[in-house]
Amino acid sequence: MGTEEGAHGKVTKVVSLIEKATNSTAPEVDPRLLKAIKTVVRYSDSELRLATQTLMDLMKRDHSQVRYLALLIIDELFMRSKLFRTLVVENLDQLLSLSVGFRRNLPLPAPPAVASVLRSKAIEFLEKWNVTFGVHYRQLRLGYDYLKNTLRLQFPNIQANVERVQQERRERERRSKEILLNKYESLKENSSSIKGGILSTMDEIDECLEILHAKQESVSDDILDDEELGDFRSLELQQLRLEALKEGEKVYEDNDNKVVFETLRELYKLLVTKHLVSIQEWISVLVRVEVADNRFRDSFLKEFIDIRNRLKSVKNTCEKAGCSLLNSSKHDEEDFWEEGNVVSMEISSSASNNKKKHLGVASTSHKMNNDSLGLHNKESDDSGTDSLLHRGREVESNTPRSKLKAEAPVVRWSSYLDNWGSNTVFMANQRGLELESHWGRVDNDAVIPADKIAELNVHAMPYEEKEIEIQPCLAPLRKGGLCQRRDLKVCPFHGSIIPRDDEGRPLNENSSDGMNIDLRTDLVEQLAKQAVKNVRERDQEVARKREIDEQSLKRAKLAKVREHNEAVLRDAALASTSRSAMLGEDGEATNEDKLSARDKKQSLASMLRKKVTSKDRIAQKLLSSRARVTADRQHVSCEDAKYREAFPNQW
Amino acid sequence: MHKQTHRHVWKRIRDREAGKLRANHFANRIKSNRISQLQLSNHKDIVSPHKGAINSLQVDSTEGRYLLSAASDASVAVYDVQRPTVYEAGGGGGGGISKHSSIFVVDKQHQQGHKYAVSTAIWYPIDTGLFVTGSYDHHINVWDTNTTQVVVNFKMPGKVHRAAMSNLSTSHMLIAAATEDVQVRLCDIASGAFAHTLSGHRDGVMTVEWSNSSEWVLVTGGCDGAIRFWDIRRAGCFQVLDQSQTQLGRRPPILKRSMITKDSSTKLRAAQKKHANGSGSRQQPIGRVPSKGPMKQRLHTGMLSTQDRATAHYGAVTGLKATEDGMYLLSAGSDSRLRLWDVESSCNTLVNFETVRLQINKPLQLATTQDSALVFVPCMRSVKAFDMWSGNTYTILRGHYECVNSCWFNQHDQELYTGGNDRQILVWSPARSIADEMEGTAEDQDNWSS
Repeated sequence: MGTEEGAHGKVTKVVSLIEKATNSTAPEVDPRLLKAIKTVVRYSDSELRLATQTLMDLMKRDHSQVRYLALLIIDELFMRSKLFRTLVVENLDQLLSLSVGFRRNLPLPAPPAVASVLRSKAIEFLEKWNVTFGVHYRQLRLGYDYLKNTLRLQFPNIQANVERVQQERRERERRSKEILLNKYESLKENSSSIKGGILSTMDEIDECLEILHAKQESVSDDILDDEELGDFRSLELQQLRLEALKEGEKVYEDNDNKVVFETLRELYKLLVTKHLVSIQEWISVLVRVEVADNRFRDSFLKEFIDIRNRLKSVKNTCEKAGCSLLNSSKHDEEDFWEEGNVVSMEISSSASNNKKKHLGVASTSHKMNNDSLGLHNKESDDSGTDSLLHRGREVESNTPRSKLKAEAPVVRWSSYLDNWGSNTVFMANQRGLELESHWGRVDNDAVIPADKIAELNVHAMPYEEKEIEIQPCLAPLRKGGLCQRRDLKVCPFHGSIIPRDDEGRPLNENSSDGMNIDLRTDLVEQLAKQAVKNVRERDQEVARKREIDEQSLKRAKLAKVREHNEAVLRDAALASTSRSAMLGEDGEATNEDKLSARDKKQSLASMLRKKVTSKDRIAQKLLSSRARVTADRQHVSCEDAKYREAFPNQW
Repeated sequence: MHKQTHRHVWKRIRDREAGKLRANHFANRIKSNRISQLQLSNHKDIVSPHKGAINSLQVDSTEGRYLLSAASDASVAVYDVQRPTVYEAGGGGGGGISKHSSIFVVDKQHQQGHKYAVSTAIWYPIDTGLFVTGSYDHHINVWDTNTTQVVVNFKMPGKVHRAAMSNLSTSHMLIAAATEDVQVRLCDIASGAFAHTLSGHRDGVMTVEWSNSSEWVLVTGGCDGAIRFWDIRRAGCFQVLDQSQTQLGRRPPILKRSMITKDSSTKLRAAQKKHANGSGSRQQPIGRVPSKGPMKQRLHTGMLSTQDRATAHYGAVTGLKATEDGMYLLSAGSDSRLRLWDVESSCNTLVNFETVRLQINKPLQLATTQDSALVFVPCMRSVKAFDMWSGNTYTILRGHYECVNSCWFNQHDQELYTGGNDRQILVWSPARSIADEMEGTAEDQDNWSS
């Protein structure tokens, strides 16, 4: 008796759970309810049968949203339970006609937006089911075949798509392999010429370097002599000397070795842009290609790697010799121009810095000295050859410069930058325009003073208002979702804008549970409290504040405890099988149901109701019979008046 | 449930071994047991090449192996239902899905093919060398199966609804054709001409069926709601079934009649009396074994106009099926009724079949099991199996997505074939044995997440 009753209780439980899950406007089933349904159904066949029956009944409801949610549950159970599958498959045509709506006399019910989603979901599910279980259920195959081949519905075709993509990929791989093989064959044929080209370039570079080094020998000797002459006693000077020595080993360009340097640079360019890239490419081809004869390939690979290593070493030596600029010339050039701007801007601060450094270097190297001196004078128009040397310094000055750069303000480009900080005066009448004797005497020597120019060229900057993001209201709406109105302080529908959480509950009220009920009074209270709090903050009454804090803390704690208790109870009720737990939950549930059911039913029904737009209202006003009659009358009288005005002598 | 049935099977086999059970009886028991488990077959697919509704299905009676199907796209196809053309692995029941593709198709592309929908296709009853097709293009073609060429061609006066050949005939090769025309024509294959023209129906003839007890007796059902019996040796029809002439229940078998207790016989008599009072025109006692003698002839020559105008259904008669023993006739009408007629007494047996709705605009093809225990009736999108004598629904076979037109029960394999407007030919077969199922369940199982 007892067990039977229990079973009965549980059975109704499944039904109520399913009904609750489908009585919602959400686009998906509440995962907790779904889980509860699954757990209940899993352990009892009779409940599963009942669930099937209930779901099929729900599918017959005249509301697409209900059908949609029921279909989601059906899919969930279908993928899991064999018994459910056998039961559903028996009536598959009914299920399909209710979810896809392919029968003309049984179209899907309103609302149409949900109906279309339901339809596409149903088709998608059918395809999934057919792929997974089609082999076991002829009915599934039949249904799929009917919808696909007889009704010609468009299936998403997920699996076929995946297969097609794979096929394409395989095809691509095959093609790339072919290309690789072709490349490999061509490499086999003209490997010697490639190697020859590279080796000759390297030889030339070597020769160039040799020439340079031969010259350098004598130069460095000179430097040493010079240094010995000078006195470097102190520690700093010692260090400077060491650095200088290192620097000195480098060969610098001058008039004597200019030609050599140029060839070297050209060769280097060739080496980096062509040979190194091509050899890298060939190596990758060799690595990737698949050939029967591995021996040949391996030997090739070895050779190429050797060549590459040699190339790299040569490249390094070249860079040491000062060719390095070319490999990233573009980037550097840009950088340089920018630098020009910045430097001119803050010339006073950075110049001294630079000067110091330059002097340090200058004292050790003559050539350097010459160059850097020249450089100072014509900083703005550095030639290409100078830039090479400039770069060397740049490495050192990198840290302070970047620091300064980071500090510097970012200004918009404008023409005023052209004569930033310049003190030159402008000749007013010497602009290339011949003004003689047109407008009288011209003063050729008229000047515009620099401060006037500066005044005229004052940098104009439009005022940019700082963008303030207006927070949306975010109050929960009846139909679901949150209010997206953006008002500054007060939303016309939901009152003043207050911070809310993801579900639209006010954040401040979260702490106290009971506040939710009478929201309005609470709001006033809260505002008052806030004001008081503000005043006291201003007055620095810390003690009072602490008390309030304590109070709210206590409240929050209580609320938390209450919430936790509730959650535990609810969980227990959802998952438990015992009757006592059921009872408590039921009472609560009915209470909740009454509240939420009214809300939700309204929303479910409101989904069906047509939205009354302003256009409708206008139409209603304008197209009403009374309005039409008055309009007619007005029209007639208007015509009459016109006529009488036009022909006043006719009666 | 399976365990139970299997225990029964074993018991029967033991009984058969012991000689307690006769061979025939034993076989029948096994067969009816199998029939009771009919369900949509998951291991046997007939791959339909048709692009239109399947109108007619028939398995040849000689080998029970070749299924002939006719469809609305003017095509006819033949399938081997015993040997599949392709096995597809991984099917339910472990054995894979056997696909039965058509052996040949005759469609519009065939130079001698029909132009419009083929409404009927039947095998020549003696062997599978010939088959007959009737079409809406007013033609009845007789085909040589092996060459798929037309051998004989009959031009009919209207759309052909149904054609039939007698299973019993030893002396004639007549095709009875039900057409739009009011006359039923008998086409003689031997001569290639119309042998008879039977007139009597007042509207087009929907369906035609040869009697299973006499090679000379033909039954036709017309759009006027009449079911007429013809003896082809004589002119005119000799009987018209009247739905108001009724007889409660099944006529008791003659052998058992002596054992009927007194009160039941009085009850019977009372029923007869009541019936006699109800329809005064006919004074013939029902229990009498009628002889087709002078009485019938007299009836014909001066057949009472009231009797001649009797109807079996309100609306058209869409389907006819004689039981294997030829004693009863089942008829389906566009009034969504199924009636069981006692042929001998020509009375409506008042069995109430729980049909819901029947298709009304097409001839229906009914099927019965060999022992006439069950009748399979296409009821819109499903096929219902009724108990022949009580009219109770035995099972509902759901699988078609559109209206079902025809059923054929394969007595040999105890399989049911159904064809419908959704172009599918479905096979309904007894559940497979347990051993097979055990293999199959490996893949199709519950899949709960933790």
